[in-house]
Amino acid sequence: MAEQRLQKTFTAGLWQNNPVLRLLLGMCPVLAVTAALKPALTMGLSVIFVLTCSNVVVSLMKHLLKPHLRILMFTLTISTFVTIADLYLRAFQPEMSAALGPYIPLIIVNCIIIGRAEACASKSPLMVSLVDALGMGAGFTLTLCALAAVRELLSTGKLFEITVMPSWFMPWAAMGMPVGAFVTLGLMLAGVNLITRKT
Amino acid sequence: MFAKIKYYVEQSWVLMVAAIAFGTLLAITDAAWKPRIEQNAVNRFTELAGRLLPNAIRFESATSEPLTIDIGGKSVPVDVKRGLNAAGQTVGWAFVCTGSGFADKIQLVAAVDAAFETLAGFRVLSSNETPGFGDKINITPDEGGFFQPQFVGAPVGSLTLVKTGDPQDINDRIVAISGATVSSQAVVDTFNAYLVPLRETLAAEGLLP
Repeated sequence: MAEQRLQKTFTAGLWQNNPVLRLLLGMCPVLAVTAALKPALTMGLSVIFVLTCSNVVVSLMKHLLKPHLRILMFTLTISTFVTIADLYLRAFQPEMSAALGPYIPLIIVNCIIIGRAEACASKSPLMVSLVDALGMGAGFTLTLCALAAVRELLSTGKLFEITVMPSWFMPWAAMGMPVGAFVTLGLMLAGVNLITRKT
Repeated sequence: MFAKIKYYVEQSWVLMVAAIAFGTLLAITDAAWKPRIEQNAVNRFTELAGRLLPNAIRFESATSEPLTIDIGGKSVPVDVKRGLNAAGQTVGWAFVCTGSGFADKIQLVAAVDAAFETLAGFRVLSSNETPGFGDKINITPDEGGFFQPQFVGAPVGSLTLVKTGDPQDINDRIVAISGATVSSQAVVDTFNAYLVPLRETLAAEGLLP
């Protein structure tokens, strides 16, 4: 029974409650870092790290949280792990850190993280909070990568910087620009709405 | 009074303990990775400056404290590095300069010759210019770019951006990238802001031949 609940919690993050496609959260990195797969994957993994750590910490101290200090504690927890992720990238992935610019520090204000702390971790046991973080993080990362794959392929003919399109392919530069992010995301949301319509 | 203090402590002790714990965690992380982060910055600068001054085998700061120049009424510190060859002779100067691009700050690594009279070129350290347009300032001569090579051999002085011309002519006129005039102008403006004040400051310090 408990196992089923955990499985349901995990898969909810992938589809039913996908943070990007169903809840429309975390739109800033979705639009900003999806011009190519590498930065999108790095952003996704960073969000998984921060979300997992913050959910675990918030869940562990949920009985100690005073209602009026709740948001302050969430912010303190999230900013700590975002800073660690940022320092890690600057130390071990300096080129990727430079490419992502301010978007790693901006995870602090990503609605998914604080949203899960408030909606799940502050009310749920440790295991549920952990699995919720992994599911939501995986859903966010997969969506980011799907969007980035379409944009990188159409704007450069490459995936993970490896040429995959034939030589006659004409790169579509607009897809690497913000307009490409909006159009691709709009089409993805339209596709999801089409699949999930209840009529 | 005591009751009031007790009330505040009861309300906020978790926050205080968490702040101390997280602060300690960040301090430890920073201490562990800071040397590596600083080394990354040095390596990146050395790599880019080394491409501009191929005879330089190492770079060292020209002065113990960064030089200060006036840009738009602001005092800006610049750590000018001396490029040295195997015999320990100065083969050029290299430094990081920052300007305002189309969307964000542009950071360049610039190099000049030993006499500080002609440019040895530049490379982009960081920029967020528009993909497909402004980011063409990043294209190096090896990658077939025409913008960066125009600076190699250009005189240290006031550079002018022009929309048409022959980029093969190396002089104080820099031909803009089509569709990226703002980014092109940003690079030219950055050089105009840094070059002459730096030459004057280095000369005043007695570092130029």
